[in-house]
Amino acid sequence: MDVTFRIRRRNPDVPGKEKPYWQEFLLADVDPTDRVLELLHRIKWEQDGSLSLRRSCAHGVCGSDAMRINGVNRLACKILIRDVGEKVQVEPILGLPVIKDLIVDMEPFFDHYKQVMPFFVNDDPLPEDGRERLQTQDDRQQFDDTTKCILCACCTTSCPSFWANGHYVGPAAIVGAHRFIFDTRDQAGKARLDILSEPNGVWRCRTIFNCTPACPRDIEVTKAIGEVKLAIRKGTNVGIIESSAIH
Amino acid sequence: MTSLVLTVRETLRYRGAIGQWSWVLHRLTGVGVVLFLALHVIDTSWAVFYPDLYVKAIAAYQSPLFTLGEFGLVFAVVYHAFNGIRIVIFDYKPELWRHQAQAAVAVLVLTLLVLAPVFLGMLSHVVDFYVTEAAIAGDKMLDVVVFSILEQLPFIAGFVGVLAAAIVLAALYSLIRGDAPARGKYPQASPIERFWWGFMRLSGILIVPLVFGHLALMHVVQGVFDITAAQEVAGTMAVNGTIGAAPSAVEFVYHRWSYAAGGLFVWRVYDLFLLVLVTIHGFNGLRYVLTDYTSGSDFARRTAVALCTVMAAILLAVGGASLLVPLEKDIVDEAMAATAEIYELRGEELPAALEAYLTEDQ
Repeated sequence: MDVTFRIRRRNPDVPGKEKPYWQEFLLADVDPTDRVLELLHRIKWEQDGSLSLRRSCAHGVCGSDAMRINGVNRLACKILIRDVGEKVQVEPILGLPVIKDLIVDMEPFFDHYKQVMPFFVNDDPLPEDGRERLQTQDDRQQFDDTTKCILCACCTTSCPSFWANGHYVGPAAIVGAHRFIFDTRDQAGKARLDILSEPNGVWRCRTIFNCTPACPRDIEVTKAIGEVKLAIRKGTNVGIIESSAIH
Repeated sequence: MTSLVLTVRETLRYRGAIGQWSWVLHRLTGVGVVLFLALHVIDTSWAVFYPDLYVKAIAAYQSPLFTLGEFGLVFAVVYHAFNGIRIVIFDYKPELWRHQAQAAVAVLVLTLLVLAPVFLGMLSHVVDFYVTEAAIAGDKMLDVVVFSILEQLPFIAGFVGVLAAAIVLAALYSLIRGDAPARGKYPQASPIERFWWGFMRLSGILIVPLVFGHLALMHVVQGVFDITAAQEVAGTMAVNGTIGAAPSAVEFVYHRWSYAAGGLFVWRVYDLFLLVLVTIHGFNGLRYVLTDYTSGSDFARRTAVALCTVMAAILLAVGGASLLVPLEKDIVDEAMAATAEIYELRGEELPAALEAYLTEDQ
């Protein structure tokens, strides 16, 4: 089958192309099971070598090829042509500065992530056997979902609050904080809740639910944000998530 | 401003699910209601402080432009209420998130179900007014529309004044405090937004029954046209007797706020609760909206916050004063004279009862 690609491009180094513009490419012999990333490669390799995009593992693990595909944030490597149809529109994710074509500057995104202390904090001496700090399966289950984040920025750049206000810490950073806030072995939960309780923390979330379907890892993003809000309201991370039986 | 343009454009372009559109409607209806609230509180206070202005304001409200607006207002209030309840549910029970899209549809369906009979009720008042009263002759219609727009000019002037005050306040604040600190790595916790988040949800839930009761009595059982026509005030059980032979809008308010059951001015207390809750909820909501789109500039953001604070303070002061001062019967006399002017403007003859009232007064 033939597929038409409409790609949002920009090249700050070429006169006349500093401003974003649309360019169309026609691809023949496309399989419905081809992934969008493969076809972007074909365009770059067969038609226009100047097309720039970011990708690394190409298998939905590294999270570097997030882009807005037919109006919704997706990983180009995880989306098949049969799911998007014969007309594909690709543009960079929104809310971060566009460097070139589909490549955005991820630094502001990572800055927000770093602010929530996304690392394990526990100053107690190690257990006597020198091995891991144990926790029950139920306790582990509380933050299981938010361990899956690959920092692709699909959620944060789908959020109208983030589009409007780049200072808003954003869904991904809150997911990153959630992973440690609800970890019973971690000791900096209070500090993270304090960080997220500032005006540009969790309160800018208006429960719009754009982030949840945008996540390529199926993380329940809005739910995680809601749990962090409730933890800040209660002043504690205890008793927010009902301990669910392990299935 | 660029942030607002970008967000509006990309919200239209991003293929978000129904939750995104619920949020858009929630914002639009919220801003619409809060703007109406400013108009409504100020000119209702005129019934006590400037009876002649109140009579003219009500005459403006009876013009076709405002009739359309009233239907929009009722839609906005009902939708905002139901969607607000939806937001509260998913904020306090985030684990239910899978049902949020169905809930968004349910909100729309419920809104339409409630609005169908409500709009029919409101429409009957409109039809009544135009058919039986034949209130406004066609050739005078334009005059009335122009008149009702001119009546709102003081509000525009007032708003410009408040905006100027907000800019001055923001400038002073910026002089004293300097630039806002950049988001530090580990900033101090701020309990303020945490409080407001809880307040918006609690006040929202409390407002729903209060505002639905208010809408039912003042827009459905009796509409804006009854204010100048009804002999009795709904919800007062005619304890104070009926309104005089030539009803005026001021007398309507006078009867309503004078109604006491068991020594308690029921409607004054009711309206006071409504005023305080809705004003604070509304202007804090407006602050949310405005600060979302002004985060790029300290000065613009501070102006937005000052604007909301000043407007809320004015409404609470003016509305509170009108609800708390003792009512004097002579406001009705002033209103009668103003009513006569309205009749002249519309090119109609004075009703006999009104003419009798005025000559007797002199």
